[in-house]
Amino acid sequence: MKNALMAGALGLLMPALSAAGEYNITVDRVMIDTGDFVKEGIGYNGASPGPVLRFKEGETVTINVTNNLDEPTSIHWHGLILPFEQDGVPGISFDGIKPGETFTYEFPIVQSGTYWFHSHSGFQEPNGAYGAIVIEPEGREPFRYDREYVVQLTDKHPHDGNRVMRNLKMMPDYYNRQQQTVGDFFADISKHGFVTTLQDRLAWGDMRMMKADVEDVQGFTGLINGKGPEQNWTGLFEPGERIRLRFINSSAMAYFDIRIPGLEMTVVQADGNNVQPVTVDEFRIGVAETYDVIVRPKTAEAYTIFAESMGRSGYARATLAPEEGMQGPVPELREAPLLTMADMGGMHGMADGDMATRDGAEDMDHGNMSQGSMEQASMNGSSGMAADAGTSMAGMDHSGMDHGAMIMAEGGASDPFYAEGSGLVPVAANGGKFLSYSDLRAQKPLYEEREPTREIELRLTGNMERYTWSIDGVKYEDAEPLKLQYGERVRFKFVNETMMTHPMHLHGMWSILDVGAGEWNPVKHTVSVQPGTTVYMETEVDAPGQWAFHCHLSYHAASGMFRKVVVEGGPDQGNTAGVEVANDGGDA
Amino acid sequence: MNASKNFVAAAAMSLTATAFAAGGHGGGHGNGIGEPGKAGDVSRTIQVEMHDNYYEPETIEVARGETVRFVIENKGRLVHEFNLGTPEMHEAHQDEMKMMVEHGVIQGGTLNRKLMEMDMGNGHSMKHDDPNSVLLEPGEKKEIVWTFNTKANMEFACNIPGHYQSGMYGDVNFDSAADSQASAD
Repeated sequence: MKNALMAGALGLLMPALSAAGEYNITVDRVMIDTGDFVKEGIGYNGASPGPVLRFKEGETVTINVTNNLDEPTSIHWHGLILPFEQDGVPGISFDGIKPGETFTYEFPIVQSGTYWFHSHSGFQEPNGAYGAIVIEPEGREPFRYDREYVVQLTDKHPHDGNRVMRNLKMMPDYYNRQQQTVGDFFADISKHGFVTTLQDRLAWGDMRMMKADVEDVQGFTGLINGKGPEQNWTGLFEPGERIRLRFINSSAMAYFDIRIPGLEMTVVQADGNNVQPVTVDEFRIGVAETYDVIVRPKTAEAYTIFAESMGRSGYARATLAPEEGMQGPVPELREAPLLTMADMGGMHGMADGDMATRDGAEDMDHGNMSQGSMEQASMNGSSGMAADAGTSMAGMDHSGMDHGAMIMAEGGASDPFYAEGSGLVPVAANGGKFLSYSDLRAQKPLYEEREPTREIELRLTGNMERYTWSIDGVKYEDAEPLKLQYGERVRFKFVNETMMTHPMHLHGMWSILDVGAGEWNPVKHTVSVQPGTTVYMETEVDAPGQWAFHCHLSYHAASGMFRKVVVEGGPDQGNTAGVEVANDGGDA
Repeated sequence: MNASKNFVAAAAMSLTATAFAAGGHGGGHGNGIGEPGKAGDVSRTIQVEMHDNYYEPETIEVARGETVRFVIENKGRLVHEFNLGTPEMHEAHQDEMKMMVEHGVIQGGTLNRKLMEMDMGNGHSMKHDDPNSVLLEPGEKKEIVWTFNTKANMEFACNIPGHYQSGMYGDVNFDSAADSQASAD
């Protein structure tokens, strides 16, 4: 209760602070109390998460960052469009901030919306070094609300980030508590038969992956605005009000499925850019993404904001209520999803075409055959033919089912941004609408639509056995920078050849996610690529300098799924050429 | 006025007619929100602009008994609705608008008018031709003449999925001074 009041007081102080245009941030050792454990970590201005920075579009901000740690630090302004020297990535944008030093950032605010900031040094971000940014637009918002709250999530782990990384390197399944057991093996045999089960297990063994590899760092406590489930961060409302919730996923590793039982949520913004409003019952927020939703509770009761991690190994919980101390029911965690063969569709040596799911194969065969049987029946005028066709239809199904006989997800849920038959396809807890990337449309196109000037394919790769993650099989230390030309429009093709979801984040320039809507494609800063899928995004290369481009899962970025991008040419070419920074990047 | 044909031609069979009628549950007589007005009774004109996704203005003042001509222009890049009704009527109408989107009648910035005429079975169509509303493509301009003969809890709203929820509505305030004058007449 006291915590929630303090959080509220902090929120009230922030607007006063922003009037100055100048901000002071200290980077400090702090204690983080999740309710489950207390752990030393890193925070800003004496707390984790740090303050909510409130900027105004059009202003120029000056931010003095003082490093009170005994190690170098940095702050990256996630999603902000700014000169690359201000982007805060040690080894790419600048040299970092040494212990005891103050670094002054200064940049114009050229956008509006919900963003966040975090350290880009070592594992300071998973250790607590993150905060929120709210930018008020110059004009009016294209929507209305009576009050707003930042809802910033993280997956706070009791282990220090360096220790987590060491453990993962030593034993990639160190934190995987949902491995399948011998008991599961026998249960699958009775359900699917011995040979199928054995084949299934052998196939997974070949890939050095496990079906339960949805989350490779489990054992965390989900926090909302720094509060654990028991500490229950609470946002107040008057019945009938429209409330804007600014969801930010600042997790190191965890995706969250978010719902507020009893309330529909109208999504109005994704990654700081307004989208055409879409009303949903639940949505999945990738690591580093933001979604703004508007909810309208009409009755004076407590509503639970429930955020289950994608792998169901943990959850965050908060409350919207007319007064402090009220609580709504807290749902049970749903069953953990298991990856299916479809999720390894992109793996090496697995032909994509072979990966038809059980459902997919059936649908296809039924479709073809019923058409065939219709023609035959009408041609011959014989009712007997239809029955024959029916028999052969069943036969066809079997032949098409060889691969489908691998143990597959059997639900009917589908989403074009997941492999067909994927075990990860999200389903709304109440059976209603679950947001898909394919629902996102820009509210107002940011760029004029044009053909991309070239396509760059990036394979997202990794070896789970050694916990190495890479792009095109090459990890950051061994890779040449990716060179882009100022003024071009690049179409990136992400091919996920791993069995994990990777939230890809390009610094400095927008990621226009291809959802097939042309000029209405949504504009993002972080694009999730699901296992076994290929996702396209386009980037207008309009920011000279050098930038980071990486998977935002902290331990994936740190183990090599990271690239430096160099934008050649452009108005500030002289500047770019002159930059000499130590190459100690690779920090998420 | 050419545009006035739009509401005069209101078809009883239209699917959205149910939304118009839905107000009847709350109001004592009729739907309780007034009725289509006669051009000759118009005492003033109110211009309403549609933007993506909000109106200008967001509040209008009317007096009971007054007949107002609304000139509504879509200055946005998306299809928008202007619908006069109670919050309950809007809520009922939102399911129908959702259906129009799901059937491809409304696609972002375009309206498929051919599809709107299509027979959906049972004589229903997705015509959207109630006298209390207009549905406009970007750049379109239409009129509604409305007589506010009853004081009611009314909003003008765009019931395209997500638009109302994110705040595309405006308040219809009954001017109490003018209202008491009107009732004294």
